[in-house]
Amino acid sequence: MTTRSRRAAAFGATALVLAATVAGLGPSAGSASSHREAPLIASDPAADNTDVYAFVSPDRAGYVTFIANWIPFEEPNGGPNFYPFATDAAYKINVDSDGDAKPDAVFRWTFKNDDRRGTKTFLYNNGPVTSLDDENLLFRQTYTLESSFGGGPFRTRIKDAPVAPSWTGAASMPRYQTLRDQATVTLQGGWKLFAGQADDPFFLDLRAFDLLYGGDLSETGQDTVAGFNVNTIAIQVPFKDVALGGDAKRNPVIGVWSTTDRNRVRITGDSTPTMGDDRVQVSRLGNPLVNELVVPAGLKDAFNSISPDKDAGIPAVVKRVTDPELARLIEGIYKIPAPATPRNDLVEIYLTGITTKAKGPIKADLNSQLNNKDVDPNRFRPSEMLRLNLGVPVSATPKRLGVLDGDLQGFPNGRRLTDDTVDISLQAVEGAAQTGKLVDALAAGDKVDANDQRFGASFPYVALPNVAAVNSGASASPPTAPAASPAAAPATSPPDMRPVAADQNTGRDAALVVAASVGGAAALLFLVTLGWLRRRARRI
Amino acid sequence: MPRLLRILTIVSLTAAAVFTAGAIAGLREAPPVRPAGTTAVPADRQAQAIARAQDRLKVLPRDHATWAALGVAYVERARVTADPSLYPRAEGALRRSLSLRSSSEALVGLGALANARHEFAAARDHALAALRLNEFSADAYGVLADAYTQLGSSAAATRAVQKMLDLRPGLAAYARASYDLEQRGSLAEATALMRRALDAAADPADIAFCRDQLGDLAWSRGDLAGASAEYAAGLAAAPTYQPLLRGKARVDAASGRLAHATAGAASVAQRTPTPDTLLEYAVLLRVAGRTADADRQLGLAAAAHRVFEANGGRDDLAGAQIALGRGDSRTAVRLAESELSRRPFLEVADVLGQALHAAGRDREALGYARRAASGAPSAAYAYHLATVALSLGDRSTALTQLRRVRELNPYFSPADGPTAARALAALEARS
Repeated sequence: MTTRSRRAAAFGATALVLAATVAGLGPSAGSASSHREAPLIASDPAADNTDVYAFVSPDRAGYVTFIANWIPFEEPNGGPNFYPFATDAAYKINVDSDGDAKPDAVFRWTFKNDDRRGTKTFLYNNGPVTSLDDENLLFRQTYTLESSFGGGPFRTRIKDAPVAPSWTGAASMPRYQTLRDQATVTLQGGWKLFAGQADDPFFLDLRAFDLLYGGDLSETGQDTVAGFNVNTIAIQVPFKDVALGGDAKRNPVIGVWSTTDRNRVRITGDSTPTMGDDRVQVSRLGNPLVNELVVPAGLKDAFNSISPDKDAGIPAVVKRVTDPELARLIEGIYKIPAPATPRNDLVEIYLTGITTKAKGPIKADLNSQLNNKDVDPNRFRPSEMLRLNLGVPVSATPKRLGVLDGDLQGFPNGRRLTDDTVDISLQAVEGAAQTGKLVDALAAGDKVDANDQRFGASFPYVALPNVAAVNSGASASPPTAPAASPAAAPATSPPDMRPVAADQNTGRDAALVVAASVGGAAALLFLVTLGWLRRRARRI
Repeated sequence: MPRLLRILTIVSLTAAAVFTAGAIAGLREAPPVRPAGTTAVPADRQAQAIARAQDRLKVLPRDHATWAALGVAYVERARVTADPSLYPRAEGALRRSLSLRSSSEALVGLGALANARHEFAAARDHALAALRLNEFSADAYGVLADAYTQLGSSAAATRAVQKMLDLRPGLAAYARASYDLEQRGSLAEATALMRRALDAAADPADIAFCRDQLGDLAWSRGDLAGASAEYAAGLAAAPTYQPLLRGKARVDAASGRLAHATAGAASVAQRTPTPDTLLEYAVLLRVAGRTADADRQLGLAAAAHRVFEANGGRDDLAGAQIALGRGDSRTAVRLAESELSRRPFLEVADVLGQALHAAGRDREALGYARRAASGAPSAAYAYHLATVALSLGDRSTALTQLRRVRELNPYFSPADGPTAARALAALEARS
């Protein structure tokens, strides 16, 4: 055979092979790539900040406690449902002491899994767990805490610290308090740390706010987050570590917010994606009542992305504060006249802190960094954060309505676990100096005045996780509920601090001034609350 | 005239509804119910979100944000369950939201819905409208990236994915970045990012999605063991997630377990009768020599395709593939051309090439087959180019492409894989 004819034969044979076999039809594995439908709105609860608390520790003079929660609506029904922190995220608590809206102290947590389940089981534990290193505990997490001060590099404070596990039930973890205690760590220098599951300390009735949508108040009195757990990160540090210049006497005011970051990933430019130390902020939370006020629906994503120093540079954010649309909405429904704009009182409450130094309408000095003696006012930048005056003494009898009831240690001066942030808004509506008109239907607020679980008297204060399924209606009380709420616990020794500065009024009179002034903002606070609650509702 | 039109519309809508209901009732099997008392499955936040939104809207029907969230949740649910009858419900919820108030969330939902219905130009426009309201919407960039990818604007798609990564790194962004890299041939990086997505996954359906993609990535490099392990891990999290079951059936077929594969494909096709699942089942039936059964499944595939279109979707690619399977190459060419005009995407070019080849128009087929084969490292595309080249007498291209098939994934198709191997052997023996 000639080469030519051999080739022809080869061709013929091959063509025959192809022709004789079953024609492939339809999508092969490649079909998955034809139109890959990837998740768009994936649940990302591990990145979801729910609440931030900042308060002077009632049982430890000179120390401030920060508590930040993630992963809302954890159902405590055991089994395979456990709730780890994300291992691809950095959890941060940020503190601004000089008022430039940039963090001066950053505490950063990163988590690692220790997964011993292998391929044989998906169970969290395969027998009773009596300690954090119990071999029956098959999935564990540890964390590294790093801190950075004054913009300096991060330094590792502790590595491989244990996380308190999700409480999967009294049979699996009969003495959970032991696990909680083992996960509560004290570092050199007096820092206390805790990371792990806890009862969601927030309490409210979402339905109270449905009134605005045409509902009624017939169903108030039920804590609609009762029974759910969250993942808590708590840290207690001496005032000097977060106060400007390390001097909480001269500079008692700090601003606090939490953020969740993930590594930045690049797929453009360079041919290979890089995943380095460069991080992207994916969520942010400071003052609970401000999220929807400063940032309505259309700007929610923006707010979660930007750092506080950019807040004042976004006109829509500022406008949202000075001219709240929702104040007009409430006017339409309740006939409470919307206060005149621009609402500089709100700017003060949410963006600067309550101070006379910004020439705002509220005639009191409570919690602006501008009142720190060593602050350079020229570098001050309005921004949204939870502001706390460390110099306000621990209240012997904390009021759930905080500042509005003359208790200057409470929200919006920081936030204690027991502060009724919802009713603070509602009570403010009732006493609103500017409106002079009550909303009778709201007189009792949401009728949820306290959390369903009692808070602890010492760090980390949050209640133990719930173990009864939320929908079961069974009592979720842990067997070892602590005796007293932190704020209710009288300080064991007089707090080592004085009223902030000589020119400040922190007594009862000032409280009234603040209360009256804040009352002007009440309608708005109420509405902000509404928006925020609805946001929580949507995250379910 | 308008009156007549209305009547006609009503009649046809009724017919469509009846057909849809009938088809669904006839084709769709209820998902298996877990016996009470067994280990609880991980919480399905997606199902919870839908239930809670529905409850809330009963009391508060003017809550635009919840309407938008419900619409988006329906689109996600339709993706996971491959149930197109959720599309009209999604559209209803999203339109209701927009009628109450314009928001980027509702527009993102409409964009996601348009992508699901293969209306990619409309999806792009919805995403751009959402971004005009909210330039920080990572979700809108996700919709935009999906649309641009399908519309053939790969550079614009990459930019949209990068914006998404810059705004909110997380599962949705990692998954799209992984796909973008895969399309550009960076398979190792694509795999690394999909692992990252898996780390960020919380819902069982999301875990299943990531495992399925990792399985497919392993599969695309011919790694049967790796693919099998990923599918199994995914099924442990979400036992009924149909793409995983399909992947498992593919691995069975490639490993010579044809009976297993056919049974698996049958169960998937029964439970989620989409054109894709029915076609896959038909292929296996043909390989098993059960031609009449295969034809019956092709008939069902055509019915499922009509259900998709009755729910507002448009997918001429699936139509072309069904026509190809039934040997109707003229219809296949027409539908593939129509799809390609809307969606210049590699797989559409590949199917058009196959259709033209089947119609004996190899000279015209060549350009499309080349476009697909040079655009992505795919054994199927390489094989299809080889068949066209052979028909045109171009043995050297055929040899190159068949070698590529062997190198990429010799198991790429239960029907064509063995053929490709035999053809390559014949060519190599005699050249």
